[in-house]
Amino acid sequence: MKRISVTVSLNRSTLQFDEAAYARLENYLAESAGLLEGDPDPQEILSDLEQAVADQCARRMGPDQTVVTLAELEPALEEIGSVQVPGVGTVSQQTTPDAPPRPLRQVSEGAVISGVCLGIARYFRLDVTLLRVIAVLLLLGTGGGMILVYLALMLLMPYAPPEPGGMPIRWLPAKCRRIVEYLRAKLGVDRPGNMPA
Amino acid sequence: MVAEPKLAPIRKGLLEFLVLKIVGASSVYVPDILRRLAGTEFATQEGTLYPLLSKLRREELVLYEWKESDAGPPRKYYRLTDAGKAQLAALDEYWSRINRTIADMGH
Repeated sequence: MKRISVTVSLNRSTLQFDEAAYARLENYLAESAGLLEGDPDPQEILSDLEQAVADQCARRMGPDQTVVTLAELEPALEEIGSVQVPGVGTVSQQTTPDAPPRPLRQVSEGAVISGVCLGIARYFRLDVTLLRVIAVLLLLGTGGGMILVYLALMLLMPYAPPEPGGMPIRWLPAKCRRIVEYLRAKLGVDRPGNMPA
Repeated sequence: MVAEPKLAPIRKGLLEFLVLKIVGASSVYVPDILRRLAGTEFATQEGTLYPLLSKLRREELVLYEWKESDAGPPRKYYRLTDAGKAQLAALDEYWSRINRTIADMGH
């Protein structure tokens, strides 16, 4: 009786697999490819794994054996183990879970005018100096139209609560805040919780 | 062991350091690395090692070259790049510093 076999090219080796072993191997490689989703070089790792499978199976085959069966493949895969992506469960996972939503708020402490740039910088985790430079460039580029945008944001963006040990509030941001708070009260747009005491 | 869930991430984090040490000692291929780690707390498998080596290569800390073998297809031999050697020296230094800190704490 002749066993039905499949010729499999594994990286730099070629081996004969019986049907069951071939199905199991396909399953293992598909599973590994799935686990490597997001890895920049999945192909390199998959080639390495293929080679490892070939070496492990060849080592387990008898001298006269020509076809790999589950009897060789299963312990080989057991020894190779499933793909573990480095870093997962340590650093990369801590930075990615859905962070609590950060509200877009102006920050009075350390602000230059009213804290709009500082608030936007915090929100997008950008460098505030870069943002201020962009704001000034926009101010020049729009022929002053930026002033209206700034004033609108200043009126609309709620204030961040004071931070313990934060920077002091300069004269201008304090004045701006007083004016904005006055205007909001006048216009009746003040919502509770916007302005901590 | 009660502390095991807390120990696993420590081992996981140190594996990269150990692999750099092994690759730094001599040019090796993966079965050499596995043999070196077998029987230690850091015993590991190809499924873990290949993705890690791929990452280290991408970070340009290790590089590999193909070498013919007497039996079977050519093998990938890994060694450290200059950046890898610098990284290993930094990790070594940091590790002994941490060790001192831990030893001194609580006395």
